[in-house]
Amino acid sequence: MTTDQSLVLRTYADAARTAHATLTALDQLSGDGDFGDNLREGLDRVTAALDAHPDRPPYAVAASVFLDEVGGTSGPLIGLLFQELARAHEAHSDERDAWRAGTGEGLAAIQRVGEAEPGDRTMVDALVPARDALEAGSGPREVALAALEGAHATAALRARRGRASYVGQRAVGFPDPGALGVALLFWSRARARKEAPGELTVYLPTVPGTEPPA
Amino acid sequence: MNRLFLPAETPVEQALHGLAAAHPGLLDLHEDPLYVTARERHPARRVGLVSGGGSGHEPLHTGFVGAGMLDAAVPGRIFASPHNRQVYEASKAVAGPEGVLHVVKNYTGDRINFGIAAERLRADGIPVRRVLVDDDLATESEETATGRRGTGATVLVEKLLGGAADTGAGLDELAALGAEFAAASRSVAVAARAQTAPSRGGEAFALPDGTLEYGVGIHGERAATTVEHPGFERLVDRMTEQVADALPATTGSVLLLVNGLGATTLLELYAIHARVSETLGKRGLEVAGRLVGTFVPALDMSGFSLTLTALREDWAAHWHAPARTPAFPAPESAR
Repeated sequence: MTTDQSLVLRTYADAARTAHATLTALDQLSGDGDFGDNLREGLDRVTAALDAHPDRPPYAVAASVFLDEVGGTSGPLIGLLFQELARAHEAHSDERDAWRAGTGEGLAAIQRVGEAEPGDRTMVDALVPARDALEAGSGPREVALAALEGAHATAALRARRGRASYVGQRAVGFPDPGALGVALLFWSRARARKEAPGELTVYLPTVPGTEPPA
Repeated sequence: MNRLFLPAETPVEQALHGLAAAHPGLLDLHEDPLYVTARERHPARRVGLVSGGGSGHEPLHTGFVGAGMLDAAVPGRIFASPHNRQVYEASKAVAGPEGVLHVVKNYTGDRINFGIAAERLRADGIPVRRVLVDDDLATESEETATGRRGTGATVLVEKLLGGAADTGAGLDELAALGAEFAAASRSVAVAARAQTAPSRGGEAFALPDGTLEYGVGIHGERAATTVEHPGFERLVDRMTEQVADALPATTGSVLLLVNGLGATTLLELYAIHARVSETLGKRGLEVAGRLVGTFVPALDMSGFSLTLTALREDWAAHWHAPARTPAFPAPESAR
């Protein structure tokens, strides 16, 4: 179990590197442009901490790094998702049960803190479809697709919460970086179990000012 | 030249060292992460009271840590929210058998960082609730989801909650009371000169001669309106009437805070207080408790704010209950 968790996080760190330019460009459209850096550096710190503490529960390690050390608002919110995934993996021996409970509790915590509703163009828009797919008993591949589709659908939304709410219409047409960044976690879980719905690059939008990822 | 007498490196940390050294019997300073805790607490208290927010509003919040008020305060950088880890560690340090109550001024950053800390505490099994202070009338009618800002009423809410906590009230009871204290409070603030921008050293914004910023907050942001200075009496009367009119269902008894925004002198604040008291008296409002001084400034802004809290009879004991903190005045028995 610990090995699985560690592999998911290492895959997520690779995904954040692959998506870094895209996430940065998306965040520059609507925020201060540091989300790609924060996610990539946070996950690099997580993998370093996993190397240093191979016996600690991996999602709990990720939770402390993201809650204590990652900047911005999105980083600590992702830390809350890891915190609940860690608790759920302690409580449930079945991997699907743990993800269902952890995603549900993580989403609830993120909504309590950020006060965002579905449709507000935040990471909640990726987590709600992922939670729904998990509740319906879907496997890692379907859950990843649901999260990615939820993230892509934010391209049609105008922000009401978060920093993007200040720029309004300007970011419409492109997905919310926080939603896409969280969806990458569900893609990484599927990839770690060899059930990924294709390569990650297929799911990264082309943003003006960036080269399409290789 | 920077008019602020602050060290270039870690000014907040240096100031907290100075505060703790000035009040060794009252406070303990914790440096990693940064927060301040009270050395004493009433034996009946079952809930830890924790507040915090950006620095530059001293004595808020660290000056109100001590027996009878806050158990811990968490300072951010100047005008910036504290990190969730500071709130989390401070809350763990002072949690009572019934948990922790967070007193949070209504600003997005503070709400999120206290909120994240609350989720971490819940995961640890520590019960936690929040009281949101949102008294600033200038931000009432805007078409945003963010609501009124939290300003001067924070010190009144913290005193009332401290008194209530020392009666042995439980967490849910205190959270409900705190929400009522906040709901009964309204403020308005005016500025004649901006505060110094800490990084540049000059005025944060310029005001044309003869004008005032009406409806400023405590982070040096400009107000929604710039007005001609109407003269001392008309200005103070306008503000007094505005706050008194906005008070929810009043009992005829109020708490009054005449608060300096940093550079306004006590000579001015007492003159303002005299005028406000007269106007409130004419309206038939009895001032059951009052504070006059610099309690919630915006660094060194020149200006003042008025806050009223509609006082319920059973709240008066919380206001008059003893408190021993660096900055809250000793209670006066006779009125």
